[in-house]
Amino acid sequence: MARPLADEVRAIAEQYPESTSAVLPALRIAQERHGGWLPPEALEEVGEALGLTPAYCKGVASFYDMFHLAPVGRRLVEVCTNICCGLRGAQDVLQAFERELDVRPGETTPDGAFTLRAVECIGGCGWPTVVAIDDRHRLNVSAGDVPGIVQELRGG
Amino acid sequence: MSAPELVTVTIDERSVQVPKGTGIVETAAAAGIEIPVFCYEPRLGAAVGACRMCLVEVEGMPPKPQAGCTLFAQDGMVVKTARTSEMARVAQNATLEFILVNHPLDCPVCDKGGECPLQDLTFRYGPGNTRMTFDKRTFEKPIPISPAISIDRERCILCYRCTRFSESVSEDNQLVAVNRGAQTMIATFEDEPYTGAFTGNVTELCPVGALLPTQPRFEIRPWEFQAVPSVCGLCPVGCNIDVDQREGKIKRILSRNHPEVDEGWLCDKGRFGFSHLYAEDRITDPLRRVRSRGLEEISWEDALDDAERLLREANGRIAVALSGSETTEDAYALAKLVRKGLGAHTAMLPEEIGGGLDAFRAPLSAIRDAELIVVLGEDPVVERAPIVDLWLRKARRAGAEIVEIGPAGDVQIAPGTTARACRKLKSGELGDRLRASERAILIWSGGGAGGGSHLAALATDLGFADKPGCGAFFLPETANGRGVAEAWAAASDDEGPEPEPLGLLIVSGDEAAANPNVRALAEQAERVLAITMFHSLAVGWADLVLPGTSYLEREGTYVNVEGRIQRLRRTAIPPAPDELAWIAQLASRFEVELSPSPSLVFAELSERVFGGVTYEDLGEEARLPDRVPLEAAPAESADEPVPAKAPGGTLQLLRYRPLFSGAAVERVPELQFQRPAPEIELSVKDAKRLGVRRGEPVSVRSNGTSVQLRAAINKRLKAGVARIADDHARDLHPTVEVSK
Repeated sequence: MARPLADEVRAIAEQYPESTSAVLPALRIAQERHGGWLPPEALEEVGEALGLTPAYCKGVASFYDMFHLAPVGRRLVEVCTNICCGLRGAQDVLQAFERELDVRPGETTPDGAFTLRAVECIGGCGWPTVVAIDDRHRLNVSAGDVPGIVQELRGG
Repeated sequence: MSAPELVTVTIDERSVQVPKGTGIVETAAAAGIEIPVFCYEPRLGAAVGACRMCLVEVEGMPPKPQAGCTLFAQDGMVVKTARTSEMARVAQNATLEFILVNHPLDCPVCDKGGECPLQDLTFRYGPGNTRMTFDKRTFEKPIPISPAISIDRERCILCYRCTRFSESVSEDNQLVAVNRGAQTMIATFEDEPYTGAFTGNVTELCPVGALLPTQPRFEIRPWEFQAVPSVCGLCPVGCNIDVDQREGKIKRILSRNHPEVDEGWLCDKGRFGFSHLYAEDRITDPLRRVRSRGLEEISWEDALDDAERLLREANGRIAVALSGSETTEDAYALAKLVRKGLGAHTAMLPEEIGGGLDAFRAPLSAIRDAELIVVLGEDPVVERAPIVDLWLRKARRAGAEIVEIGPAGDVQIAPGTTARACRKLKSGELGDRLRASERAILIWSGGGAGGGSHLAALATDLGFADKPGCGAFFLPETANGRGVAEAWAAASDDEGPEPEPLGLLIVSGDEAAANPNVRALAEQAERVLAITMFHSLAVGWADLVLPGTSYLEREGTYVNVEGRIQRLRRTAIPPAPDELAWIAQLASRFEVELSPSPSLVFAELSERVFGGVTYEDLGEEARLPDRVPLEAAPAESADEPVPAKAPGGTLQLLRYRPLFSGAAVERVPELQFQRPAPEIELSVKDAKRLGVRRGEPVSVRSNGTSVQLRAAINKRLKAGVARIADDHARDLHPTVEVSK
């Protein structure tokens, strides 16, 4: 069984002189524990463990793109649309995902299986277009690859 | 202290000398040049350079505009503002154009219009038109961030003044910026109301109309206000205020920076509390009890006749219960009337403070400069004297060590043992450090009568009298308890026996009327004369009720926690004559010479107890009188009896009077959300023992009384102690049983 979130957060905080330094890793763990997003209770738990207000935690969490303040699907598909990927057909890749999943960027499929997002650079500029699926990068993705990827993710 | 090193800075070809390290905005101001700012506010801590309005060009620095607010004066520095630097002018214009990208420019319907820094600076700077043709961002507006404050996010220019206040002045961290970039908005967590003692300050800090008080709204233009400089009378700090009134009616209260007292901050009780003057149950005419019909309104002529008759019939068997909210002059007048005119010398003063503290007098700002501060007592400082809490926070941020000794302190002591803990500080490690320090402060915050005398004895022992950086503050419970006590003592040197049986009880003020001891006395008294503002308890027992006035409605003085004598001004027209006017009339019927003019009464009083300082000397920014050296070691009051230790399984009840309580707060709709929740604070140990978790309902019982409250866990609270606000503790006895 995993350690209680509060214990884990406090263990991280001990590595820093200021508890505020532990907010980012703490939020990341809290997000993992809460099904990929940060409900208000998660922000309260982190705040409680670090001696910070939930408002402060929300301020931090809402600043960073990889924290989600609304529920996400079981699989998270993030398509980079920044410059390098954009030059190499990222818009087509994104549209292919929209077609296959029948959602717009930022939306979750009605069955809760997928959330599709268009994101800024995720650090794979040498291998455009980069698509992050549940935080694992797929490199050199083209629009033509998308139906296969979705089928694979659906377990087909 | 040595004089600070002066440096010469050239600003727009003007040479100016300032102390090294002065901010460039202030340096320019010293040269008579304005550097416009939005986000810059030195009271919020280090500059952040968020708004970029202060862009200047500095010779020798990289050839790009610099944020003036983040720079400090160095010798030989040459700064060019937008007046002389084309680079700065272009950059500043662009900045203002950007700031206005999303600003709605709805000035005609904005309450800030007329006193809005954004409006003013847009008139003086900037291109005067915009090239932006796209839609502005929109938000739902205005929405409450609390019942007292509303937010209009479209108007917000993201200067972060409010969030910096919340983070680094009040340190409540409730108001934050969420999201990023152009999507950023100011918010609380999950739209919870912004709660705390100081929230209203953000409405004054906001440089646009984004954060505004919900009252008044759409009622008035800033240029229609008449600002009357006065002093808040709701706690012993006596924050300096500007009372904005129109046609004799108060519309709002703003802070008025006294750098030694309040630094320009004001608590929400002081800021929003004024509307109690206009409460529906305000008494505006004298009331007489008529046996068959209850109370009937009578004329002032009849009322004075009645009062005279009550005073004569009591035959000197008179006691006066004072509130501590009277002006020093009113208390003196009342004292002179009954003591000189009727030979009645019995008073119930609002509290016993204890003498000797004037030898250790210091401005409240000395707390900020201290290195070691000991706070003794049972009440949270913020509940008694809120601004002192901000001074303490500032001291802590500056590196001061603060040791709290109390039932919920760093050093945990049992309730009722504060005097003992105070004496212990004469020796020991902490005592030695206090003795060795040149910048140490002692604060007594509740916990037994006569705390001032214990504090004075300790300060004497520690040698504080000879150290100007060391001081001792006793936080009184009432706004002018000190002044009232001095006034009562000054009126006569005679003494008399306790009246038995009590012929007449004079209840002065709503606070006295709410005091259970006064109520008990009223039951014994043959007659009761009450001076109150509202149809409160006292009206139920009084034979004659004379309408009271508020600290906002009368001239006079208050003596604050430091011993500073400050002037109250008549900022609004009261619905009834003020106390001094009719006390003087009544006094003449008993051959007591008394002026109806506060300045003349003050002059008489001042000759006796304030060293002859005149009303005019006090001015609008009163200075702190010099220390009064002690002639002999101060006499310590006897310790309070220590309450018996709670028997096994029970808890000792620690009551406190919350800041947001009392006759004024009860009558202000916008402040109801600030009143304490029906909670009982439990120590971690007791909560564990009782198996109670945070937020769970518990039942609190003692001697047949039972109260349902929610549990709150206070990690600092001593085991065996339970803390409940007076509002919710009601008739509970000092020992309580708590169960799920």
